[in-house]
Amino acid sequence: MFSRLLLLNWRIFLSNLNRFQLLLMIGYIMFLAIMLVNLIGTAIVVVLMDTDPWMQMQMPWLTPTVYMFILLVFANTYWVMHFSFTNLRLLNIEENRKLLGFGFPLKRLARYMMVISFCHPVNIIYNFTWMVFLLVQVREAYKIPVVISGVLLNYVLIYSIKHRFLQIVERRFIAVVIGFLILVFSLFQMMALFSENKSKLLFEIIPRVETVNEFLSWIPGGLLIQSARTDYGFQNALVMFVFMTVLIVFILLDHFNKTCEGLHKPALRKIEEASSNLWNVLRKLLGRNAGKYYYYVMIHPYNRLQVLTLAIIPIIYVPLLMNLEYEIAKTIAIPTILAGIPVALLAMGMANMYGYENRELLLHLQFPVKLEKQLKERFLGVIILPLLVFYVITVFELLVIPEIGEAINIFVANTFMFLCFMLLFIWSSYYQYQKATYSSFSYKHPIISQKVTFAISFTIFSVGYLVFVPLNGLEWYRLTIMGTVIIVMGVYLWRHMDVLVNLFKKRILMRIWSEL
Amino acid sequence: MPESAISIKELVKSYEDTVVLEGLNLEVPEGTVFGLIGPNGAGKSTLIGVLTGLLNFDDGEIYIKGLPLDTKNELEIKRQLSSVLQPPLLFEQFTSLEFIEYVCDIYEISKDGLIEKAYSLMDFFEIKDFAKIKVNKLSSGSRKKLAFVTAVLVEPKVMLLDEPFEAVDVISIERMKTVIRRLKAKGVTIIITSHILEVIENLCDDIAILHKGHITAYLDSVSRKELQKDSSLHQIFEKYVEVERKDDIVDWL
Repeated sequence: MFSRLLLLNWRIFLSNLNRFQLLLMIGYIMFLAIMLVNLIGTAIVVVLMDTDPWMQMQMPWLTPTVYMFILLVFANTYWVMHFSFTNLRLLNIEENRKLLGFGFPLKRLARYMMVISFCHPVNIIYNFTWMVFLLVQVREAYKIPVVISGVLLNYVLIYSIKHRFLQIVERRFIAVVIGFLILVFSLFQMMALFSENKSKLLFEIIPRVETVNEFLSWIPGGLLIQSARTDYGFQNALVMFVFMTVLIVFILLDHFNKTCEGLHKPALRKIEEASSNLWNVLRKLLGRNAGKYYYYVMIHPYNRLQVLTLAIIPIIYVPLLMNLEYEIAKTIAIPTILAGIPVALLAMGMANMYGYENRELLLHLQFPVKLEKQLKERFLGVIILPLLVFYVITVFELLVIPEIGEAINIFVANTFMFLCFMLLFIWSSYYQYQKATYSSFSYKHPIISQKVTFAISFTIFSVGYLVFVPLNGLEWYRLTIMGTVIIVMGVYLWRHMDVLVNLFKKRILMRIWSEL
Repeated sequence: MPESAISIKELVKSYEDTVVLEGLNLEVPEGTVFGLIGPNGAGKSTLIGVLTGLLNFDDGEIYIKGLPLDTKNELEIKRQLSSVLQPPLLFEQFTSLEFIEYVCDIYEISKDGLIEKAYSLMDFFEIKDFAKIKVNKLSSGSRKKLAFVTAVLVEPKVMLLDEPFEAVDVISIERMKTVIRRLKAKGVTIIITSHILEVIENLCDDIAILHKGHITAYLDSVSRKELQKDSSLHQIFEKYVEVERKDDIVDWL
């Protein structure tokens, strides 16, 4: 029965992929393989640093304390990576729960689903690397069960914390945003203090590595290292092993109960009266068509998370880069990050051009309003907000970082990036369209697969480099090319709105009808 | 012979290689309740989809209220039409009342007394308590009733109802029938598709049986009386969709 369930979930997964995403999957598998080799390799090198004679000869400064410091930094950094990449949104709970209707026992289904979601390749890679990293450090056999249970406890804790955290983020969006911003600002205050007194602080900190090690040993990565290196004796090992095993069992039981609950009554939602001031405001600002569309974009939980990310990235990186002495950071990296904000907002809007409303579009088509008019209104609605952000950023750059270049250069480069990505997203919204599904177990974006996000970030930085890298005497040449492309793209899009309508009728309409 | 509200001539509609409607001819008289019945996959929903303008057609001619269904008359026709599809199309993130207001606003329905009318119809169908509840929280029966209420409020000349009684409780079915009869009395033409033959028999003036993309029988009030002397609508339906007796296949049960 388990193999059939696995097959079912594999089929659900594959049927949700188009050819493009299938190709990306191959790349993703290769990435995972490379990641596994690199992680294990790095782990072994770090562990064997102090025992290898060649290494000792090459690095005489590597005292046991410094070595321990490196080990702890690696373990804790690795733990942060593990926490970030642990994959939760794997299974489509709506599809799987249908099995209950065919007599599949609830508890067995929940158990199988937990096993399948725990066994995601990324999760396996991280846990396997932890095992290798820690077990090569073990000197006494009795520590092995402690290490293994430690790794497992770490994993189930991460899983549990992340699951609950995501739910909190979805429910308490504003509180989480404010909390994050306060955290980030406090971090900056600390960093500013550190950078102002860098030499003094470093002078004082280096001789105190041992104190730092003491601190690092008591955060998650350090605790795991302690489980492999500290001499705690057989009796303590036994106590720790039993204690951790009990904790693992309790956490798994809790997760199992939550899974059962999710499978049993995911549709049970609190029915309460809703009032949507946001909808009223948007209707007045953008009109009933674009207003409704943007309302849908703004209330989607996934988009709320995206806005959160968009707010945090520039707050962290721009002040950091502004403090750097390298000119290239100011002239390329900062404007690229800033130009990426309206692009990301545009992606948020454009990507959801059809997916979030999906079948509702059929009702829009029945209205006595021309489809061309409806699409044009939506299109304008989508680009208004990113354009406003775009102008604010351009003014900010001109006032705060004038060394980036002249006003015309900044303006043309930003517009060029904006239009390039707008075309990319238009293409994507027609050719990569899929129905958006969202639950606490799985998420499928209408057009941008999670695996493409990395590719898009890479493209943003590549285009950013092309448009912002200083060319000195050849600046006019790039300006002419970008200006021409902007005019051609803008005029073409404005005059050929019917292309969008025809594409919609040809590529999207039948699919929405068949999804009825 | 009354004038036709809908006239369909040699209509052909296919999905890639599958022909769903093959040279279909149909006349729906003005101001009547018209029943369209047929087995699963006969093409009923596709026909409704074509009439609402959601699906294009490959060949043939369609006239609605005397206007040919083409891009030139599209908006004029849409203004006179309302529909309830299966499953009903609603705006999930709006409350029931917001949804009604939104749709009526697009159809340019006068705001005077609209809310009162909306509340009275919602009250009639026992969904008044859900006026300020988001549509995505409604049960399937309530969703169907909300779609029906909205379709009535936009003051159509022609209503297309694709399985309107599906998932609706018996009380509400009776109330839907009351509303349909009153709309008919006001001159509205209503096309209903349904698998509940008793309701169709009881409610409709004319009935057409659609099978494999063709109208295999057209029963107006005169021919119905004649045919139903000896057999029920169920038996007539079986005859015209060429039902093969297969009881022996499950003899093992």
